[in-house]
This record gives sequence, structure tokens and C-alpha cells, in this order.
Amino acid sequence: MIVAENLHMHFRTGFLRREVHALSGLSLEVRDGDFFALVGQNGAGKSTAMYCFLGLLRPTSGKVKILGQTPELGCRLYEKVAYLPEEPHYHLYLTVEEATRYYAALYGKQVSNKTINDALERLGLAQFKNLPLSKCSKGMKQKVGIAQCLIHEPQVLFLDEPTRGLDPLAVREFRETLREIHQRGATIVMNSHVLSEIEMLANRVAIIESGKVVVQDELRNLLTLDRELYRVSFEANGQVPAYLTAVERVGNIVKGLLPKENLYDFMDLARSSGLHLHECSLKKTSLEDSFFKIVKGGESPAGSQEMRTMPAAAAHQG
Amino acid sequence: MTELLRANILADLAYYRRSRLLLAFMLLFLLLTALGSLPPLFGNSGVQNFNALHEIFSELNGFLLALCACLGLFIISSHLRNRSLKMVFTKPCPPAVWLLSAFLSAVIVSLLLIFVVLTSMTLLSLAWHVPVRPGLVFLSAETFVVSVGLIAYLMLLATVVHPAVAAICTLVFNAYLFYDAQLWTDAVIRSGNKSPWLRALKGLFHCLYLVLPMLSPFGKKTDEVHVSLRVMHGEWKYLLYSLGYALTLAAFCYCVSLFALQRRKHI
Repeated sequence: MIVAENLHMHFRTGFLRREVHALSGLSLEVRDGDFFALVGQNGAGKSTAMYCFLGLLRPTSGKVKILGQTPELGCRLYEKVAYLPEEPHYHLYLTVEEATRYYAALYGKQVSNKTINDALERLGLAQFKNLPLSKCSKGMKQKVGIAQCLIHEPQVLFLDEPTRGLDPLAVREFRETLREIHQRGATIVMNSHVLSEIEMLANRVAIIESGKVVVQDELRNLLTLDRELYRVSFEANGQVPAYLTAVERVGNIVKGLLPKENLYDFMDLARSSGLHLHECSLKKTSLEDSFFKIVKGGESPAGSQEMRTMPAAAAHQG
Repeated sequence: MTELLRANILADLAYYRRSRLLLAFMLLFLLLTALGSLPPLFGNSGVQNFNALHEIFSELNGFLLALCACLGLFIISSHLRNRSLKMVFTKPCPPAVWLLSAFLSAVIVSLLLIFVVLTSMTLLSLAWHVPVRPGLVFLSAETFVVSVGLIAYLMLLATVVHPAVAAICTLVFNAYLFYDAQLWTDAVIRSGNKSPWLRALKGLFHCLYLVLPMLSPFGKKTDEVHVSLRVMHGEWKYLLYSLGYALTLAAFCYCVSLFALQRRKHI
């Protein structure tokens, strides 16, 4: 469906024309019917990769094929493709309705008023249809982008930070819409910092780091990376065993992660020293945990505040 | 193709409609016409009225040309700088169609404005009891022809360079500058300076003069129309020649702009 082979993208920036490597041999494959998520830190190369997939950026070297064709600006291939950009790069002088109609008309087919009105109604934009885009909030502009994506029932959908700027209600509705489109057989490629959202929607994930795909796998495989760990919590009455990692102390309560190979040692210790055990459970891994483990080389302090806040902060930074 | 052209032209016309630049021009147009109309109200001479009409018409045509140049420059640079073309080229709308629509929409607006000026001048002539001269139509058509070439040229410059550089190139580094420079070097050579560098410079200026587009390539042949607003029988053909020149220039600029747009590394 979508194949990228050894993509390299080099820019020259600044007065000294310093070379920046945005992509350094990125290769990935999106299969027909996938809900594929691109995950990575800011500047990892996710948006650059998406621009290359869409033909908006000509890679320095490497090949991209979508539905067997090389994407070129405005080619016939886009009859089956829809794209929702990260930044609201819309025609700001148009009103909400005009913009939706214009983007729909760019598919070269007549679009009925009913289709336009239905799309606007569905996204709660009907009452703002005469408002110029320049006066719309970021979320409203994003909804216009979503409306134009949905009108032609695309076969492949590229979403660059789709829920950025949307209110929680709109995020939920959008998620439902995406699920619906995916169930109808569309392939979706999404790029997002909101890992919890990806966990809810995607079936395959590629983690991009410094312009390369470091992991490309089924989401369920990524979620079981830490299956070998147990989360334990107990009242310490002596020394904490050395094999316990990510140790946190709250008063005399100790929380930590226990490797599977030390489980029986820990149980023996608990029995012999009469530890008051509060919890001992198989650790459920989130995509966030796996992401940190892969990107930071397993240095993740599991369940720490840093991990919990990172995606939100990243989403704000864009 | 027709549907795509229509959609793009309608969007571009909305851009012009909401453009403050156009609004400013319309206000300026009204102000100039109003100010120019004041003196004849106090005089009763036909010559005075004709001179006032002639002056208003010349000024408005000059403004029209500047504005038409801006139409071509703004439509391209605003889309390129806002990155809104991402939304267009990720649809089955090729750059060739988009560029043609941008050019046609600018030409439509220019035609409309020229028609407004011509109509106003005709009405003013009737109001001031000045005979409506065919020179009004001739000069309006000439302004339109020149604007077609200018729009295409500015569109090309806006595709390849920053709009400010494009404006400077058009205003300063134009064919007339190099024509004057060529005359100057020629005069220096005639006065006895036989430096080979000067000869080379003269050749360079001559080449640049030939290469850069001219606003009115047959201007000298139609000078009389500008003065008297009368058109002799043989003068209409120069309008046709000018149209041929403008269309050729527009076609060339379109092809180069399209090539530059497609070769852009980043949309």
C-alpha cells in the first residue's frame, strides 16, 4: 500500500548553509487496511516523512510508492488520498463553507450542497459556515480540515497531528469517525504525539528516531515489551532488594519493578522477613512505556511523572 | 479540468474580493475621479474639460497597471508563503491547472477594473459634453494587454524569488533601465573611450534590454493616441502586435513558473 525505501532528506539552513539530516535512511511499509501510527520526538522526522509520502517534499534520495505509484504534486493518485495537515495551512480568506466546498471541488467532481452541509453539520460547523477561516479558532480550522478529508471517502488517509487544538468532545467524535472510516476499509497513516490516542486507534506503529525507523511492529507486540516485569509495593522493614528497579519510597511504603527471574527470590524474601506486601502484579505496559524504553534505551522510570506528562507537553510544543 | 479551473478561479476571486489592496485601490480611484472632477465644475470650457478627463484617465491607467502587477505578485506569493498550496496539491489538482487559474483570475480582475475605468470615463465625457473618443477604448485595451504581460511576469518572479525582490526587479531592473544604460555606454564610447570593457558592458546591457520584458513594445508608434485620444486607422494593428507580444510573454512566463513550481523542494 505505502512503501518508503531508504529515504534521505537533507536540508541546508542558516547563513553558513549548515546541513541538517531530517531523514537518514527511513524505510517503512504500511499494509492495506492498516491504521498506522508514526511516533517520535519533536524533530524526529515524522512530518518530513509524511511530506515525502505525499510528494510535498522531494527526498534527497530514496523511493516512495503509494498504491504502487510515486506521489507527485496534484497527480491522479490523490483521488484516493486525503491529507489533514499539522499546521492550519488553509486558505484563510475563505469562509468555512467556501473552504470546504473549494477543497471538495478540487477532486474535480461536483459536490452537492447537501454533502457539504452534512459534513459541516456532523463536525458542528454549520453555525459558523459564514465565518472566515482567518477568524476561526485552531480547533475550528482543524475541523474544516477533517471535513474536507471525509467528503470523498478516501482510500488512504494521512493525518498529521489530527486532534491538535480540538476540544475533548471533538476528539472523541473524531476518534469515532476515524474508527468508522477504518472499518470501511481505508488505510490510515497518523502522526501524533498523543500516545494514548494511538494506543486506542492504531494497529501498527513505527517509532522514528533521528530520521530513521527504529521499531516498526504491531501495536500489541509493542505493548508486551515489558511482560517480564512485575509491579510490587510493600512495607519495608529492612533493606530493599538490589534487583528491584524504579524504586519509589512514600513513607515506609516501597514501590518498584521486579524482573521475572527474581520473582521467586522476592517471594522467599517476603515470606522469610515477613514483608507486608500490598501489590505484586504483572506490569501492564503502555505505548508510552514502550516508546521510552525504545527511544531512551530502557532508561524509563516506569510510571514516573516525567513519562506521564511528556506527550501533553510535546503536543503543546508541536 | 474545467471544474478544477472554475473552483480555483472562484477561490482566487474571493481572495481579490477580500483583499484590502483592492479596496484601497477602489477608494483611491474614487478619490482621484472626485478630485479630478472638481475643476471642470467651475469652468465651462470644452478644452479644460478634455484636459481634466485626459489627466484623470492617464492617472487611472497608471494605477491600474501597478495594481494588475500586484495582482499577479500577491496571488502567488501569498499562497506560497502561507503554504496553502499543500491543501491544493494533495488533491488531484496539478500545479499547471492551479497556475493557469491564478493567471486567469488576475486577468479577469484586471479586465473588470479596466472596464470600470473605461465606463467611468465614458460617463464623465458625456457629463462634461466632451466627445467620447475612440482613444479611450484603444488605451484601455492597451492597458489590458500590458497588464496581461505584467501579471505573467510578476507571477514568474514571485515563484522564484521573494516578493520584495520581485517588486524591485520590476521597478528598478527593467528593460528601460538597461536601455538607458546602453545609451550611456554608447555615448561614452562615441566620446573616445575605446575600452574593451565598455564595449562588453554595452553588449551586456543590450542583451539584458532584449531579454527583459517591455511594458509597451510599440509605445512609440502609438504616442499620438496618448496625447489626443484619437486613433488613426493604421494604429489599431499595433494593439494586435502588442497583444501577440503579451501572449507570447505570458506563455513563456507560465512555462517557466510551472517548471519552477514543480522543482521547488518544499511546497
